[in-house]
Amino acid sequence: MLQHGPLLERLLAGDFICQVTDEDAFRHLSNEQTQQDINHYLRPLNRRLVSNDDNTVFFLGYFDLNKAAREQLSSQFSLTVQSLLPLLEWLQLVQETLGRDSALTAGDTIKLQEFVLRTEDNQSLRHRLNQLASDRFFNSQSEQLDNQVKLIFRRLKEHGYLLQPHHDRQYYVVTGKIDYLIDVIRFIRDEEHLPVDDTPSQEALL
Amino acid sequence: MVPTDSGIASNLFNIGAERLALLGKHHKALMQGYLDGFIDETAFSEGALKKLIAARILWRPDEQQPLALRPLVSELIASMVADENRRQINADVAEKLEQIRNRVQAYRDAQFKGDYSVAELQLQRLTEHVHDLSGQFEEAIDSLWHRLNSDFGFVASLDDKIRENERAQKQLRRLLDGLDLLDFNELIELSEGNNHLRKLLVSQLQNQLSSHHSSLLEVQKRLVELLAKFRQQQARSMLIANMAAFLRQHPKYQPADYPNRSELPALFNQAASIVPQAAIALDNASDRQSLAELVRALPRYQPVKLLDTESASFSSVMVDDEIAARQQALKTDVENFYLRVIDLGGKLSALEYLEQQALEWDSEIWLYQIIAEYQALPLDEKQMFAIVRDEAPASNMNQLLLIRDISLHLKVQGQAA
Repeated sequence: MLQHGPLLERLLAGDFICQVTDEDAFRHLSNEQTQQDINHYLRPLNRRLVSNDDNTVFFLGYFDLNKAAREQLSSQFSLTVQSLLPLLEWLQLVQETLGRDSALTAGDTIKLQEFVLRTEDNQSLRHRLNQLASDRFFNSQSEQLDNQVKLIFRRLKEHGYLLQPHHDRQYYVVTGKIDYLIDVIRFIRDEEHLPVDDTPSQEALL
Repeated sequence: MVPTDSGIASNLFNIGAERLALLGKHHKALMQGYLDGFIDETAFSEGALKKLIAARILWRPDEQQPLALRPLVSELIASMVADENRRQINADVAEKLEQIRNRVQAYRDAQFKGDYSVAELQLQRLTEHVHDLSGQFEEAIDSLWHRLNSDFGFVASLDDKIRENERAQKQLRRLLDGLDLLDFNELIELSEGNNHLRKLLVSQLQNQLSSHHSSLLEVQKRLVELLAKFRQQQARSMLIANMAAFLRQHPKYQPADYPNRSELPALFNQAASIVPQAAIALDNASDRQSLAELVRALPRYQPVKLLDTESASFSSVMVDDEIAARQQALKTDVENFYLRVIDLGGKLSALEYLEQQALEWDSEIWLYQIIAEYQALPLDEKQMFAIVRDEAPASNMNQLLLIRDISLHLKVQGQAA
């Protein structure tokens, strides 16, 4: 267990561990024996390892769902629900701005400067970014594009969706927490039978 | 049909060599024609055009149409440059088999008649056909791998990639069907009693085709995997777009209370964070040495008579309580900024901090107060901070430097462990 000290600390601090954030740790976590060891260790803290459906990202949940745990989960859940639309809009905006043919996935790299340059000259992208930046989730007070973009990316980094490999270089890597977000959306969609398609209609296929 | 006469053969040689040279002579204009889809006739002299048409390199598909490369020439170029948009895959095996059967028959007939030079020539042609058949598969497999390894990067959109992948899978199925047409019992029968034929048709061809077969199966597996990945990406993009649209249309939408379900979905079991804290402990004698070093490295605290070094002296002049309170609030915020610099250990921009903390101070007043606070520090504490001004001349004509931003960072101290 000693060798996993730093990993345990990250997990306890609420970090999501995926292949992008920490390749070694992720490999350890994918091992069933290590999972058992860690769960055993976490038991007195009322924590256990949780992963998404595809096991691409790990985080900590409660072992025993007592009243306090439920309360915390409720407030966490309402935060997650509040963040859905801004995050989805950001995903769309990045995809359109950078002219990508598919949605962002874990491991994709975004260069901040490129994003700013492409937004600068496009009135409609500029407008959408402006709205997004002033969303409660990002909460930017600035009118300047550069500051808005920096703030958006910093917030996403704080929330664990992005990783900045070098502190002083403005490029970011998408983490596996995006997979988690997609899983959450899919879950809610399925559970609530929302009219939200993710397969092309038959006409589109033909 | 077979050029037995050496005169005809040398004639063929001359024409072929001459026409191949034509390709080389006009390579740039022809390649441009390949890219444009038609030939710019002004790039050639009239004589050259006539020669190219006679050589069956160029043709006019229709009276109204400009000259273009003949399909076979385009195909040749596409194969040479591995241009997957235009490369053709030929999966026609039946025709090749028919030719092989005929050649074997002609070869046997010639041998039967004792006409050995003809038999030799027929064997030569037969060898070419066998190589053609194998080469046809090799070319197709090469093209498929090439497309696969470039992730179908030669088309832009995901939808096109999916269509291209499906087209490749159809080609692959035709190739596999073609391989099924080859009946090795028949080939064994054809080559019966003849070593040359057995070597060519059975050992060599069979070997090559079975390796093609396994290559094709591997490509097929990878194509199916890639298609699944494309579809997954497509599904993800659609889910994102449609869910965002739904949430925009229903701003009051609230999902069910999953955290309080008896069966909690694992996805929503996200525990609160625990950050382990530690404090200095003196019960372990062996740690004392390092603790003592840490204490020595701390900056000395010297009581400072604040009145002597009052930074913003106007605060004392202000009698209005409200203004004094605001002045105090500004001072507190600036102090917090300095504390943050100490915590961070790295460089911190004053304006970024102002924005990040959503403080309401005017940026100019903010910068003034930071400079004032810095000036008011005792000398030894002043040395702990490095202050960097981001300045620019007021205009091209005016050399007056205006401060745009200030960033502060903690100087690394030599004695700090």
